[in-house]
Amino acid sequence: MLLSLNWLKEYVNIPKSLSAEELAEKMTLHTVEVEGIEKEGEKFKGIVVGEILEVKKHGNATHLQIAEVNIGKTKLTIVCGAPNIAPGQLVPVATVGTIMPGGMEIKEAEIRGEKSFGMLCAEDELGLGTDHSGIMILEKAKIGQSLAEYLKLDDIILEVDNKSLSNRPDLFSHYGIAREISAFLDVKLNELKLKKIKADHGDKHAKLEKLDVKIEDKNLCPRYMAVKINGVKIADSPAWLQKKLISVGAKPINNIVDITNYVMLSIGQPLHAFNADVADKIIVRPAKNEELIDCLDNKERKLNNSNLVIANGEKAMAIAGMIGGKFSSVTAETENIIIEAATFNAYSVRKSSGALTLRTDASVRFEKALDVNLAEDGLMLAIELILEICPEAKIASEITDIKQDAPEIKEITFDLNWLEKLSGNKIEKKKATEILSKLGFIINADPESDNILNIIIPSWRATKDIKIKEDLAEEIMRIIGYDDFPIQVPFIKMAPAETNRDRMIERKIKDILSKENALSEVYNYSFVGEDDLKKINMDFSTYIKLANPISKQHTLMRQNLSLGLINNIKTNQYKYDDLALFEVGTIFLNVPGEFKKHNSSEETLPHQEKMVSIALAGNNDQLFSQGKSIVTNFLMSLTDLSVDVAFLPTDLIIGYADATEKAVINVNGKNIGTIAKIDANIGKSFGLKKDAVIIEMDFKDLLLLSFLENNKKYNDIPKFPPMVRDLAFVIDQKILYNDIRNEIKNFHELIKSVDLFDVYVGKNLGEDKKNLAFHIIYQSNDRTLTTEEIDEIQKNLIENLEKRFEAQIRNF
Amino acid sequence: MKNKLQELKKEVLSQIENIKNNELLHEIENKYLGRQGELGVILKNIKDLGDEARREAGQIANEVRTEIVSKIEAAKKALNKDQSVENLVDVTLPGASMKRGHLSPLTVVQKEMEDIMTSMGFIVLDGPELESDYYNFEAMNIPPHHPARDMQDTFYIDKKNKDGEYDMVLRTHTSSVQVRAMQKHGAPLYGIAPGRTYRCEATDVRHEHTFYQMEGLVVDKDINFGHLKYILELIGKKLYGPETKLRMRPKFYPFVEPGSNMEYTCFLCEGKGCRVCKHTGWLEIGGCGMIHPEVLKAGGIDPEVYSGFAFGFGLTRLAMLKYKIDDVRLFNSGDLRFIEQF
Repeated sequence: MLLSLNWLKEYVNIPKSLSAEELAEKMTLHTVEVEGIEKEGEKFKGIVVGEILEVKKHGNATHLQIAEVNIGKTKLTIVCGAPNIAPGQLVPVATVGTIMPGGMEIKEAEIRGEKSFGMLCAEDELGLGTDHSGIMILEKAKIGQSLAEYLKLDDIILEVDNKSLSNRPDLFSHYGIAREISAFLDVKLNELKLKKIKADHGDKHAKLEKLDVKIEDKNLCPRYMAVKINGVKIADSPAWLQKKLISVGAKPINNIVDITNYVMLSIGQPLHAFNADVADKIIVRPAKNEELIDCLDNKERKLNNSNLVIANGEKAMAIAGMIGGKFSSVTAETENIIIEAATFNAYSVRKSSGALTLRTDASVRFEKALDVNLAEDGLMLAIELILEICPEAKIASEITDIKQDAPEIKEITFDLNWLEKLSGNKIEKKKATEILSKLGFIINADPESDNILNIIIPSWRATKDIKIKEDLAEEIMRIIGYDDFPIQVPFIKMAPAETNRDRMIERKIKDILSKENALSEVYNYSFVGEDDLKKINMDFSTYIKLANPISKQHTLMRQNLSLGLINNIKTNQYKYDDLALFEVGTIFLNVPGEFKKHNSSEETLPHQEKMVSIALAGNNDQLFSQGKSIVTNFLMSLTDLSVDVAFLPTDLIIGYADATEKAVINVNGKNIGTIAKIDANIGKSFGLKKDAVIIEMDFKDLLLLSFLENNKKYNDIPKFPPMVRDLAFVIDQKILYNDIRNEIKNFHELIKSVDLFDVYVGKNLGEDKKNLAFHIIYQSNDRTLTTEEIDEIQKNLIENLEKRFEAQIRNF
Repeated sequence: MKNKLQELKKEVLSQIENIKNNELLHEIENKYLGRQGELGVILKNIKDLGDEARREAGQIANEVRTEIVSKIEAAKKALNKDQSVENLVDVTLPGASMKRGHLSPLTVVQKEMEDIMTSMGFIVLDGPELESDYYNFEAMNIPPHHPARDMQDTFYIDKKNKDGEYDMVLRTHTSSVQVRAMQKHGAPLYGIAPGRTYRCEATDVRHEHTFYQMEGLVVDKDINFGHLKYILELIGKKLYGPETKLRMRPKFYPFVEPGSNMEYTCFLCEGKGCRVCKHTGWLEIGGCGMIHPEVLKAGGIDPEVYSGFAFGFGLTRLAMLKYKIDDVRLFNSGDLRFIEQF
């Protein structure tokens, strides 16, 4: 919303000493943020009124003339191309250094050998019109006066964001803002002097029509006022009115429409003018389903019964509180009009405007819940202006006024001691009373008490905005200024803050992955799209859908983090040889979760949990192995060296996985995630140029594992020496390392650990064979082992491996 | 045996003394110390000696070996001192490169905020990102079709309840955690809720549909506006230095009353006015106010007994200000050229 300072000054005495910037800052600190200040006068900086003293022919160009111009302080020589100049004329002169509205800078110039120190301006060059036939000739101007001053462009326009006024229907007008200014500057607010117009001008015998108005549901239209005015001559508005509208960005249309807009911008009541010859009847009713209306913005809209309309006997003439229809509008030929001043239900207008995706100056105001009393003020002001601007017009009907019972007057008992408790500062009764009075509240002091005020809320604040004592506290506190309230150190009961274990472990995970494992953290969107899911063979029918997605790639809620990471690889693959990334993020599953929708409902939100995922990419055949190292190291750090990590083959369907290089991560016997190489063809479908491995781990499993660090206990350093035997054997490729290792590890209690130190596959071993080599460490807690007993165990172990796995033992 | 070893030692040492170049030294090293070297040959015979003699010979052999090795090393050093160019060590060469990982700047900023707040006794609260309309809006005193919903373009989940309405959203603010926390913990409550939030709007340099916020709330007896100012000023000083000032101006949020914006002196221009603070000298950080009694009631807390304040601000915005990041989309871009700077 744009506010004209001159317009505001009609209502409130703003001290001259206060600059626009100071006013804007005060408004920002007490009422609403002023987002911009535009000074009209600065538009024509450098352009002044000059008198042409002499016009000479240019020696070298037939179409150019040289003018001698007096601009008061000095005289200028200016080369000019326009034919209409003559001595004695007053013209706008752009002096050297002026930036023209079009952006051109005026410089000293030499034009065909003659020096020129400025420019004489045509209307179009100043952005004041379309005329380029000649230089603009000014009447009654003072030599040397600035053009802005001559045009009386001395206004300052303040800009306020509508969104920051969503709770204040009363501030969508100059008068409403003026009332605020009067409160925070503590200056006088001029009363709105509205004539109480009687349609019959006191003549009881005057023959007045009675308008045929019917309101179907008063809840949707708590007040409807209308009056018919005949003999209106549609024309352009007077200059003062046009200028006012233009200053705040409203386009002048004709006198009647301009008056309705002026009333809205002045006091906040939207009005509508109908062609009275069309509006033979006025019915406020819900639209019929599929009812069509051709609107003033040249769009046809299809309505349904959630849209309220103003109809005549046949069809809708306007969508209530939003926009008029074309056929019932006031045009150049219209003579008889009906002016509507109504109050429409805020909720209904808002819903209707949302459904039609149409927001107008009127609907923006109605949906904030307007005061029913404003309709009357609006109508009176409109009638007064119409009769003034169209002197031949006559009131032709009684003033229709259909309304719900007057809303109850609300009174709040307000305790200043409570205010002191809330604000932390004592506020005098006098001060509180003054502030509230300025804002229009009526205060009945309780004579028996120093601290109780009985406060009646003014109707324009009572629709929604002010209901409870806290609302009044804000009124008083903001007008005093939040910055004036002292800072106070709270007294708190000292107690250590409870630790949020989830968050603590999330942090630990991030620290380990970034600092120890040299992975970089990414954040990806929570959204995925069907096309990408198809590529990784995901069934997206179970994915949670957005009702209003922003783009086709972002329609569903992710169920794992892999897609984001695959796309991260693509983003970075040309700039880096190797990539190592991780993300800790929330996933959303379409099954009931732990959070209730409402504390009294059994329904729950979908299950949401965190996941920890890693992506590695590069052109090397060790990626899968590297991934396993990272997982193992990470889990060791997370649990403070308290786990046994294994990678087991799996039938699990991992949509993007290569058929062979995939495994589940098994920790102390429990599967906590997967590691898989991305299938080459799937990688290609994403445009990946590198091999990639994706690791996915469930956060809640990691959280459980993290508790293991609490069980950490020191083990005595063994007193007796270990004995190490190496064992290498050839076995079928299909037999898994993990099975062999477990077989050896569990073979005898003296076997303390089994370390794989070599894997070899080669033709010389035979088809489908591999050679595994282990260090087997024997150790006892209570004695030194003898060669003989280890030889015996080792012999049995070899026999067992030969039997179980058809292993062929190799000699060193 | 003993004599043999002593002779060998003498022989080697005399040769080393007269040595003139590295090649010869290397030859001597091989001749005596190598696998088939003379010392080795002598030692092979040790095992044929008796126990006592073997131990003695072993000891001497070791001593001899140690001495020879150290003399050879010394000779090497002496020789190479003169050939400085050939063996110059460029100490300015970088060390072997090591891989590093990086945390997202959002993680860094969130951690900083969590540490400030938990050090003052605040607990870290959790709540779901996919939230019910109730906790995100209604419990926060924003009924359906309230104009305040205009301030927040909302992503709705495509599933209607039995009344035919969308009743699940992606939370538009971390304020959604407030009522859940009150219901779970009751009063007194000192908590913060950092996390991911969503707004349904097209992305550009300054707009992002996925961003991070942090909510703070205090509910206790006798909590007043001055206490809110204290905490906010403290946060400002922790973030931007001891000279930072707080400015508050009225702003409507349905879940606080009185409601306010919070601004700090622009740390870039120290309040003089610059491009970042739009020449006002103040940086708008977030919103705050005294918790609305309806919100306390929704949380099961009696507003006549308890009062409280709440504040919220964008962690994404804090990170942008802190590092002067001018494109909000970078946070969710996965672009390593960005992440590697943190």
